[in-house]
Amino acid sequence: MVRTRTTPRTRTAAVQVTALAAASALALSACGGGTTASADAAPVATDRDIELSLVWWGDDDRASRYEEAVALFEEKYPNIDVQTQFQAWDDYWTARSTEAAGQTLPDVFQMDLAYIHQYASNNQLLDLSNQVGVNLDTAGYDEALLASGAVNGGQFGIPTSTNTLGMIRHDDLLDELGIDPPAEGLTWDEYDAWIREVSEAGADHDPQVYGGTDYTGTLWLFIQWLLQQGKTAFDDDGTPAFTKDDLVAWVERTQPLRDDGVFYPVQRAKQVEPLTGLQVNEAATELTWDNMMAGYSASAGTENVDLLPVPTGADGSQQFWKPSMLLSSSASTQEPDAAAALIDFLVNDPEVGAIFGTSKGVPAVVGQRDAMEIEEGSVDGKIVGYEDAVAERVTADTPLPAEGYGVVEVEFKRLGEELSYGNITPEEFADQWFQSAEANLGGA
Amino acid sequence: MTVSAATAERSGPAGVRGTATSSSPARGGAGPRRNRADTKAGYAFLSPWLLGFGLLTAGPMLMSLYLAFTDYNLFRAPTFVGLDNFAALFADARFLKSAQVTAIYVVVGVPVKLAAALAVAVLLNARHRGQGAYRSMFYAPSLIGASVSVAIVWRAMFIDDGVADRIQQLLGFPAGGWVGDPGMTMPMMILLAVWQFGAPMVIFLAGLKQIPAELHEAAAVDGAGPVRRFVSVTIPMLSPVLFFNLLLETIGAFQVFSSAFIISGGTGGPADSTLFYTFYLYIKGFTEFRMGYASAMAWVLVIVVGVITAVLFRTSRAWVHYTGDVR
Repeated sequence: MVRTRTTPRTRTAAVQVTALAAASALALSACGGGTTASADAAPVATDRDIELSLVWWGDDDRASRYEEAVALFEEKYPNIDVQTQFQAWDDYWTARSTEAAGQTLPDVFQMDLAYIHQYASNNQLLDLSNQVGVNLDTAGYDEALLASGAVNGGQFGIPTSTNTLGMIRHDDLLDELGIDPPAEGLTWDEYDAWIREVSEAGADHDPQVYGGTDYTGTLWLFIQWLLQQGKTAFDDDGTPAFTKDDLVAWVERTQPLRDDGVFYPVQRAKQVEPLTGLQVNEAATELTWDNMMAGYSASAGTENVDLLPVPTGADGSQQFWKPSMLLSSSASTQEPDAAAALIDFLVNDPEVGAIFGTSKGVPAVVGQRDAMEIEEGSVDGKIVGYEDAVAERVTADTPLPAEGYGVVEVEFKRLGEELSYGNITPEEFADQWFQSAEANLGGA
Repeated sequence: MTVSAATAERSGPAGVRGTATSSSPARGGAGPRRNRADTKAGYAFLSPWLLGFGLLTAGPMLMSLYLAFTDYNLFRAPTFVGLDNFAALFADARFLKSAQVTAIYVVVGVPVKLAAALAVAVLLNARHRGQGAYRSMFYAPSLIGASVSVAIVWRAMFIDDGVADRIQQLLGFPAGGWVGDPGMTMPMMILLAVWQFGAPMVIFLAGLKQIPAELHEAAAVDGAGPVRRFVSVTIPMLSPVLFFNLLLETIGAFQVFSSAFIISGGTGGPADSTLFYTFYLYIKGFTEFRMGYASAMAWVLVIVVGVITAVLFRTSRAWVHYTGDVR
């Protein structure tokens, strides 16, 4: 029996250790330090073979579009070979953080506003400023939009496309219930009342239909709501510029809808994940990024969807552009010139614009926007039309998320879920979120 | 058969030396020189494992021990913070929640799984036609149970109008899927674990085969019925195997991760009801970039599992019977 009796202990140690191994191996490599110096930019070399890595998050559909774009790039630069890889959002950031610790980030990779500060201020990203005008053309950019990729005076990311928040509505469901869509320019309170009306009308529908999904746990919407009151979200040092009372007010204003079961129920929402209530034809509206409508329409199986601006606050209807994604380069890349050329090609080339359409959001550069082949009345057309129509409302600067934003955004969503289950009060929501903010924001 | 003997064998190189020493008198006259050559050869054969152990196990383990006392975010060099991480753990409501979730899973899940494994093993121990086929069939869930696809299927079984919901409605229980209900996700996770009873079942089966038939016959002659024979003969004779399975399953249960990750979509939800310890460790390390904190958590787990294992070994003296033991 000796053998069998000892095996479990050995296994304990072994398994524990493997769990730790990954974490610590990173630490070892992190001590090696990184290369941060970006030498002077020179036109990309054409006399030698260059290999670049390109990584993004997304699904198969996006992958095939990227492959098509990369093939065009390799045609233009025959001496450059681009190795591609992609992951889903969550895995993507796990992989990137481990690479960052090992100084092996890809030459070019997709970056999000929620993480750019973290990566840039820790010297992980290449400052592309000196590539501008050499391998990288940024002439087609709106200045405020380009600034969303700037951190501490350096240009660490180039936005590929824009989106803005909006209200997606499911007209098939509204037609069935015989309820008029929400009026444009309605206030937050009017929107809540409208949701209640739809949920009451939809109670006997099979399956039951709700007016909207609980939007309280979306940090971006809270920021949007703050902006409409003339407040800003974050101070320059990255800490919250709003008070706990602001947050309590935001959470409390939707509490009656949760108490009365008016929102799409969280129990159901958890079951249909990763889809949402609107995508399974059970919720009539959802507040989210406008470029999501293409995917929503596909899942819901109807083109009869449309976009409205977000509800307006007491002090205005300001909205903001958010780059739906940026492209960044690793600080440790051996080929900064070629990396800049690849970024330039992906954001400026009209053919690339046609390949991606609005799947990443509306292209940031006019040349790409004009190259899109969009049918009148199609979902893509509605998204582009929405961004044109809403442009006059876009008066607020893009609120630039601080270092640690990604973490507190996840916490905001988690607390929103606890709220929906009735496990915490609005005050506890605010207390717990501020705890997380203190621990994570502003390079804490 | 003591714990210390077990320790000696476990410790690798020392165990090799121990074996060589104790076996040499039996071979007789080999002498110390021959002995040393054996030792060298032993190390040579062990070297692949030793290398792997050093580089992939011991090194990283020491590194994580160091990191547990630092603030380390993967990007910047670690800074020493003493016991801060450990102190912070016990003020962290989610840490306590994850410990609670894991404790319930272990305390409820392991006994239920072992009972299921033992029950099936007893049934399969009886002589039937096609017994081999049954054994393979019952073992199959263990082979695939830990896979991502099964976790996905499992999730689908417990949503609204899923298999579980239908059965529950047939039996007159209130309708509703389990996936979105924080009170029902733990039973769902435990069922998934119990369903994978194959490994302990096979071990139980081997143990059952070892019980001498004459013991049962003698008990039967003395008038013991099947229940009495099970309690007074089978269980005591099986206790070493039971002990082994208990240890293995307890340790395994503490480390549950992937099924919870898939079923909750990487959140530990709904409402942290599937936030297992290792899962929270992962979130801290790779989502929140708090590798120092995650390392501290890992070491707390090592200590807790170590203590529980030691306690189990201690209590085993009272209830585990080895054939030949004088009692």
